[in-house]
Amino acid sequence: MSADDLLTRLRALVGQQGPVQSARHPVNLPAIADWCDAMGDGNPVYTDEEAAAKSRHGGIVAPPATLDIWDRPGLPAQPRFRPAAKPPAADPRSRTLRLLEEAGFIGVVAVNSELEIARYLRPGDVVQNTQILDDVSEEKQTALGVGHFVTTRQRYETSDGEHVGDLLFRILKFKPSSGQQSTGTSPAAAAQARPAPDPSPALRPRPGINKDNEALWEGYRNHELRLPRCNGCGRVFFPPSPRCSSCGAFDMGYVVVSGRGTLYSFSVVHHPQVPGFRYPLVVGLVELDGADDGAGRGVRFLADLVGVSPAQAEVGMPLEIEWLDSHPALVEGATDSRGPITVPQFRPATPTRREDTLTAGSVQEGQRLPLWTLPLAPTHIVAGALATRDFQDVHHDRDLAVQKGSKDIFLNINTSLGLMERYVTDWSGPDAAVTALRVRLGAPAYPYMPLTFSGAVKSVDADTGRVVVGVQASNELGPHVTGTVELELQP
Amino acid sequence: MKHSYAGRAAIVGIGATEFSKASGRSELQLALEACAAACADAGVDPRQVNGLSTFTMESNPESEIMRGLGIPELTHFSRIHFGGGAPCATVQYAAMAVASGVADYVLCYRAFNERSGRRFGVGVQDRPAGATAEEAQFAFTSPFGLLTPASWVAMFATRMMHEYGVTSEDFGRVAVADRRHAATNPAAHFYGQPIRLEDHQASRWIVEPLHLLDCCQETDGGQAMLVTTPERARDLAQPAVIVEAAAQGMADDQHMMRSFFRESIVGLPEMGTCARQIWETSGLAPADVKTAVLYDHFTPFVLAQLEEFGFCGPGEAKDFVADGGIELGGRLPVNTHGGQLGEAYLHGMNGIAEGVRQVRGTSVNQVEGAEHVLVTGGTGVPTSALMLGAAG
Ligand SMILES: [Zn+2]
Repeated sequence: MSADDLLTRLRALVGQQGPVQSARHPVNLPAIADWCDAMGDGNPVYTDEEAAAKSRHGGIVAPPATLDIWDRPGLPAQPRFRPAAKPPAADPRSRTLRLLEEAGFIGVVAVNSELEIARYLRPGDVVQNTQILDDVSEEKQTALGVGHFVTTRQRYETSDGEHVGDLLFRILKFKPSSGQQSTGTSPAAAAQARPAPDPSPALRPRPGINKDNEALWEGYRNHELRLPRCNGCGRVFFPPSPRCSSCGAFDMGYVVVSGRGTLYSFSVVHHPQVPGFRYPLVVGLVELDGADDGAGRGVRFLADLVGVSPAQAEVGMPLEIEWLDSHPALVEGATDSRGPITVPQFRPATPTRREDTLTAGSVQEGQRLPLWTLPLAPTHIVAGALATRDFQDVHHDRDLAVQKGSKDIFLNINTSLGLMERYVTDWSGPDAAVTALRVRLGAPAYPYMPLTFSGAVKSVDADTGRVVVGVQASNELGPHVTGTVELELQP
Repeated sequence: MKHSYAGRAAIVGIGATEFSKASGRSELQLALEACAAACADAGVDPRQVNGLSTFTMESNPESEIMRGLGIPELTHFSRIHFGGGAPCATVQYAAMAVASGVADYVLCYRAFNERSGRRFGVGVQDRPAGATAEEAQFAFTSPFGLLTPASWVAMFATRMMHEYGVTSEDFGRVAVADRRHAATNPAAHFYGQPIRLEDHQASRWIVEPLHLLDCCQETDGGQAMLVTTPERARDLAQPAVIVEAAAQGMADDQHMMRSFFRESIVGLPEMGTCARQIWETSGLAPADVKTAVLYDHFTPFVLAQLEEFGFCGPGEAKDFVADGGIELGGRLPVNTHGGQLGEAYLHGMNGIAEGVRQVRGTSVNQVEGAEHVLVTGGTGVPTSALMLGAAG
């Protein structure tokens, strides 16, 4: 079949509708609460009857990012119990994909996901959707290979026919290994490109621990940020010394501080690169809260920053402590007599959830949202997948994910959108209405790679209260999702 | 208070090896070549030397220098700690020794294969348990990846940019000046290779905000100076260059290149300690100084030194270096040999030699009326400084 013939057959499917897919259960409070727990979303309009009654919604609503989760099928039967092959799915997207696979476009990657919210779902709503094949692109050369973009639109309604929202979803079907060859690398650049050193924290240079500083390192092992404090006069200072320079006492104790502070200065190390670190490495000088040096300024402490790219580092940014158990293998019977080392690090201070709600008039174009770094644990990924009713094994089963060629389990799209929605509504306040969540999908979000959300107001219409916030969530692999959250605020 | 030995000692000989990236010789040979050359320059038989002064970081012990030069006896040998902070202090100790009669001729020396051998730029690494105070001082920087001199200086530079509005281009102007001067100095590694500000800006990051061209090179080589009294100097081969003032300095809450915990980190108070002594002892003022050799392992601290010595006010150095202010023909030509960015990184000792040449009137980039030349030691470290001048 020629490329033209294929495109003709693909295009013939455009505009076709799939069968109606209906939810097995109505939108319900337990599922909403589980979703909120998984996202860490404390917005009371989802769970607190009283607060919700006073909101623009007049009662409890489901988070808008849940629009497309309710009518999903449940957990599929495990392969060994699965009955003989089901008839092939008849919806237009499945038919399009089959045609493309037969033509050799066997690779697939999700490219865009856009949720548009017509109205928030409420407990009791029974959701259904109909899929329309929106577009199949002509053959395009992409970085992954030649392929076609396939766009579907799902229209969501309640069982009584009320339109509640739409999902636009775009995937790329491509021929693997037909990507553009990189021709831009000069031999000199290739020779210079050395492999990055092993970033395992166990390989970090050890501190010289002795009697003068061991109490501090002992505290770090217990995730306690200690600073030297003179038992004679109470002076808090850093780095340690066996004698207090104020009162002369040799009686040294310590205080435990919260680990919150602000960035006083920083270096971004590019060279040389040594094992134990990821480069470029942002190292911060942090002025700690709650540790007045007696002269009215915060005691400074130095550590590397987590989840902060060189471009995001900024003098004055609020930070909070994170602990890196840098030698997890070196516990009892360790190869190193000094035992495990734990080092403090700092990440952007977790933004606090706004209790009141911004008005459009109080928001400026270009205004930045505070950074939010989520130290992504496997639990976040698994809980997020289950709470968004996404039972694909690559989101909860590490063995199967690895078998399928992934490095590990990874965050599903609905959780990325849910976290993004939480990030923006934590900033805007609880009574902002989300009207759309649009993302371009990028690098996967794997466990243990801190995921940092950043955002800035793209546009404000003070008359209508319409505010568009640009958001990106990135990890060490690059941008994970890049997109916008559209809000309606009081003008 | 005026130092009593000031004016009672002189540099009478300077000697250096070539500056290279691979000397092909031992560090001891480099030291002996430099020492012998300094004696030859002065017209002094090395066997007359009875004092030595060097760095604690120096790998060549005084005993080996003594053997190699055939020195029959030493009455003074002193070492100064803290790496690049030591150079001007070797001359200060020598000056105190000759002025007090402890020694007659003192050689100040420093030699290393810093490029082909162990490179300082690689930084500090693992530290043992049961650490000494010397080792333990890195306990709160090394485990966080702040391992190299560049990474330490960058921390100060970021804050300078934040508080004073200094830009990377301002740092770059120091590199441009150094390389312009090196370009006409045949002894410089970067002889004939000036750079433009665009080259500086385009050079790769080493540690933000420092580009590659903000960082000094690493060098193999040796440099020595011979110090004696002005009285003995009269009979020697070269005009005496008087030690008009010399100083060491440490200041409040001092750390080795990591004084991050002071009230302010945009200045160099230890250099301020030196500056106060230099001006008090020499009786001079910034307007009397027509050229200076300011320690330049990294560009940002050249700006801070201009401020600490009062050539401009705090935060004004960025304006001082604008429009060729520290280039030949500018307000204060700095590092006319090319500095450590352009000539060689000899822990500041080659800068003292340039100060001597300026006073003698023999620099390849001679500044007219250079009667008094300021020379400084390492920045960010406990440090030292010198005021050199012509014999009256
Ligand atoms: Zn005390």
